[in-house]
Amino acid sequence: MSDRIVDGVRKHTPSILLFFDESPFSLLWLWLSTEKRKQIKSEKIGIILYIAMASPGGQGGGAVSTRGAGARRMKWALELSLGNARGRGDRQSNQGDVMYPIGYSDKPVPDTSIQETDKNLVEKRCWDVALGPLKQIPMNLFIMYMSGNTISIFPIMMVCMMAWRPIQALMSMSATFKLLENSNQQWLQGLVYSVGNLLGSALAIYKCQSMGLLPTHSSDWLAFIEPPQRMEIMGGGMVL
Amino acid sequence: MKSSVKMAKLTSLFVISLSFFCISEAVFEDQVGKFDWRQQYVGKTLFAHFESNTQSSKKMFVATDKNIFASFNSRTGDLLWRHVDKTGPEGSIDILLLHGQDALMVVGDGRLLRSWDTNIGGLNWEAVLDTGSFQAACFVAIQDTVKLVAVLKKAALSLHYLSNGHQKWVENLPDSDAVQYQAVYSGGEEEVYVLGVVPNSHLTIIAYSLEDGEIIKQRSVEASWLSSVESSCVVVGQGVLMCVDPATLALYTLPIQAEETPEFSQILLQSLDLEVSPGFQPVLVSSQPHPARSPLSEFFLQLGPDHHVLLQLNADGYTIAPLRDFQPAFLVSFATTGKKTVAAVMTPKNETACAINLFSVDSGRRLLDTTVLFPLELNGGKPHALYVHAFLKKDDSVGYRVLVQTQDHALTFIQQPGRVVWTREEALADVVTMEMVDLPLTGTQAELEGEFGKKADGLFPMVLKRLSSQVTLLQAWLAHLWKLFYEARKPRGQVKNEVTIETLSRDEFNLQKMMVMVTASGKLFGIDSKSGSILWKHYLENVQPNAAFKLIVQRTTAHFPHPPQCTLLIKDKDTGLATLHVFNPIFGRKSHIALPALPRPILQSLLLPVIDQDYAKVLLLVDDQYKVTAFPSTKNVLQQLQEMASSIFFYLIRSDQGNLSGFRLRKDLSTERIWEVVLPTEVQKIVAVKGKRPNEHVHSQGRVMGDRSVLYKYLNPNLLAVVTESTDTHPERAFVGVFLVDGVTGRIIHEAVQRKARGPVHFVHSENWVVYEYWNTKSRRNEFSVLELFEGTELYNSTVFSSLDRPHLPQVLQQTYIFPSPITTMEATLTEKGITSRHLLVGLPSGAILSLPKMFLDPRRPEVVTEHSREENLIPYAPEMPIRTEWFINYNQTVARVKGIYTAPSGLESTCLVVAYGLDIYQTRVYPSKQFDVLKDDYDYVLISSVLFALFFATMISKRLAQVKLLNRAWR
Repeated sequence: MSDRIVDGVRKHTPSILLFFDESPFSLLWLWLSTEKRKQIKSEKIGIILYIAMASPGGQGGGAVSTRGAGARRMKWALELSLGNARGRGDRQSNQGDVMYPIGYSDKPVPDTSIQETDKNLVEKRCWDVALGPLKQIPMNLFIMYMSGNTISIFPIMMVCMMAWRPIQALMSMSATFKLLENSNQQWLQGLVYSVGNLLGSALAIYKCQSMGLLPTHSSDWLAFIEPPQRMEIMGGGMVL
Repeated sequence: MKSSVKMAKLTSLFVISLSFFCISEAVFEDQVGKFDWRQQYVGKTLFAHFESNTQSSKKMFVATDKNIFASFNSRTGDLLWRHVDKTGPEGSIDILLLHGQDALMVVGDGRLLRSWDTNIGGLNWEAVLDTGSFQAACFVAIQDTVKLVAVLKKAALSLHYLSNGHQKWVENLPDSDAVQYQAVYSGGEEEVYVLGVVPNSHLTIIAYSLEDGEIIKQRSVEASWLSSVESSCVVVGQGVLMCVDPATLALYTLPIQAEETPEFSQILLQSLDLEVSPGFQPVLVSSQPHPARSPLSEFFLQLGPDHHVLLQLNADGYTIAPLRDFQPAFLVSFATTGKKTVAAVMTPKNETACAINLFSVDSGRRLLDTTVLFPLELNGGKPHALYVHAFLKKDDSVGYRVLVQTQDHALTFIQQPGRVVWTREEALADVVTMEMVDLPLTGTQAELEGEFGKKADGLFPMVLKRLSSQVTLLQAWLAHLWKLFYEARKPRGQVKNEVTIETLSRDEFNLQKMMVMVTASGKLFGIDSKSGSILWKHYLENVQPNAAFKLIVQRTTAHFPHPPQCTLLIKDKDTGLATLHVFNPIFGRKSHIALPALPRPILQSLLLPVIDQDYAKVLLLVDDQYKVTAFPSTKNVLQQLQEMASSIFFYLIRSDQGNLSGFRLRKDLSTERIWEVVLPTEVQKIVAVKGKRPNEHVHSQGRVMGDRSVLYKYLNPNLLAVVTESTDTHPERAFVGVFLVDGVTGRIIHEAVQRKARGPVHFVHSENWVVYEYWNTKSRRNEFSVLELFEGTELYNSTVFSSLDRPHLPQVLQQTYIFPSPITTMEATLTEKGITSRHLLVGLPSGAILSLPKMFLDPRRPEVVTEHSREENLIPYAPEMPIRTEWFINYNQTVARVKGIYTAPSGLESTCLVVAYGLDIYQTRVYPSKQFDVLKDDYDYVLISSVLFALFFATMISKRLAQVKLLNRAWR
């Protein structure tokens, strides 16, 4: 279990490029960014946001994503033949051509009783998980600063990611809690985790605000103002 | 140095912003004539001549009241060439004479003498004549060849060479103060005769020598009965002056060339057994086939509106023999070909046709097989003039074609045996007002619509009905597809969609509409806006030439099964009395609706948004006692009017008194005056007033600033723009005033006075802006000025607009630009929802129509570019307004004398229909923000769909392949 968590944390590097490579829209976006970066107006942001949401961006699924790369490799095979296999085969070849039954391990089974050091390790891991979102914030701040306030494809993508990741993390809170259930400070860690994510989303909102994407001005609601109803009927003209 | 860098930066910014926003408007070559058409007209014909008297000649020449000299192809009725002269008396055509290849024309009340080459329409020469009003002109022949032209003016006679226009001689006429010289005559002799009259006293005949202009003879003949030579005398036979006197009912003859001084010899009409219709002024018609020879001795005498007699002057010069009596006969005309002269007589045949026959002039016998039928239209004008083109056929008999001009200014060309070759509706040269009406839905569409309108009659029948209507729709669609397929196989030029009134139906995007045009002659036209073909016409008789018209669409086509309804208000300027003509704008038929009695002069009309139970909008007519008549005036309407009387206001502007006044309707349909503004007429006079168009929609209620706040527009639907001009025309003191007045309260919202400016002012009032154009007398240039009104950053009341509750005056911004050309008219584009940006359509005197983006006329254009202004896409202020040739929406199809531009929204938000009218009519579409809601005309459907299909199949195949590969790998 803990292995997998570690694996998850490692895998989760906030790399745009990684995100890019996996997205089928990346090419379109690249094209957009070169062609029309200047012309993207506020009305188009909606579309891009939509595209970003709909894209298979599960990769940025946060520290506790249970959807590992292993999910895809579901097929497994019995390796009955010798020599081909790399891991155990090597070991076997070292020890001679003895065929062991399936599931046989020549190493002694380790002591599984919980020791004090393991407990500390779990605690440490749980804190890692809880502090993950908070650790992201300086990085995000840096990216925010670098990307600027112009509305073009890269800042937009960044903002989308920044906004989407904490939301997703918050939505899968229960899974995180399950991870943390071995810890003594489960509740504190949960709180820190959610605060971190909330801070992350607040940052994203701030970024949206500074980019002018939030409908906070009266001009954003202008299109919805109905023409006023006319109270008087008037007509006439020059005397014919 | 620094400033120049800044300037360069500004300029480059400007250019960049221009290239960014101002998408070129020009059409592509293959789009020419696809969405637009032009029709060229000449106006009411005054003089018409045919080229030569051979059967193969194709040209005819007309001179019109619009100061136009034009040539038609007589086979098709198309214009070969046209010369448009100045408007008004300066360019008026006094006379058109044709001889061989030369067309002689006296222009501008004897100002100029022009000779045109009739082959190519080029000007041979032009001679400036001495001052004096024009009286008459004729060709003068020397030894059987026509070499000179004589022009008679009020006090002088001049002779000009036909070849180069040089003056041979000019002589002052003796005693020209007392004697009115009215006619000049030359019969191929050595003299030219001038006839003058002292009314009711005597006739003066002066013979001038052709050589040097010396007076050879001068004599006066006592003629106390004669008041005008022009109207009652002609020359017939061997120089015999023939006059008719309506008082004594007698003909008088006098040999002009006689040496002695004889008296007029009198022949009583009674002695010829002729009787003049009571109250009718008899008219003489004679013919001089060749200027080198004396006129015919046969002549027509018109005794009544439909009574003509062919008479012959006997060789003795004193006695007259009647040849033939034509009764009834509307029109008569002489025509000569070779040595033969014939008379064409138009007689009524039946209700729907007139017959034209040729008669031998010598004997008065009818020529066989010369009958031609002229179809009389039910709602057309009566025949007015007859121009005959006679020619000798191969068998030496006389054939002819005839051009009939009717009272409604239409020209009809008829060929033997009674085939109408072409018709030209010249009334369209003077369109006064027009409207565009949506076409009705097709039968199936209407049926569908009707289904929703009807009340439910059981579930099962409704389902059945729905199914059947769907089936009919499917049928129609299949038929449409089949037609498309069928037509696609034909070459493009051959596909000709014949539009008839029966097949008219609304198209998908409502781009095809019915143009209802009202002309000054009183003829109404219904024109298909897509093809320009005239679908119906209706001539209103008894319309005064100076009548005022107002066309109102009372019911559109949206209220099936009620037919659409238009009302034309015609006001007689002399009596002030108005009449209503109610008609169906699609078919042109007069509606038989009880019209209100209008015994008093009507001042104005007002169309209310109130509808009666038949969905017709209510028209209020205000008479000179400020009483109101409603039309239609059913009980329902009167009740509605009573309920909302307190919110109905109208304004009247009396330009002659400088008076603007507003009235409120009372419950009893009388009115009370609630405000009055007087602009003293000694200082300035009101030139024009414009409110907003009632069908105008404004989508955005404000403008977004650079800092993302909103500047709300001041959208007062009751706002009037009143334009005044100073009475003082001195360049230093002249001014132009623009007053923005609230039509309900009379409050002057804003007044802008442009000093050192002169009219004519052309202006457009729309949304929250007024654009006007005037002549700057100080800088001597045309200037555009724009006024924009804003409410500020806060809306006072966003739900209702009442002029009575508006405590704050709007903020007014103004900017002025130099325009490099004078303009003749201006209008703004109009679209369905008002989302599309606006353009101004400016008619230029050159005939071009300029589509000027309103963005250039924006008072918020900054002088110094800032972050905010760049954010707003404001173009930096530049005093000069450019004219770019790609902004001309009519490329090379110039519209002569543009008088008005009419814009109408179409079903597509991007598209605005434009009709420019004047002498010509031009219809097109404009897309102020490009065609954002339709695929391009040249959209490659084939490529896109083939790529799509290819991709689809590729996906299918690769999926299959991938599956196979996976399976194989699994087995490995």
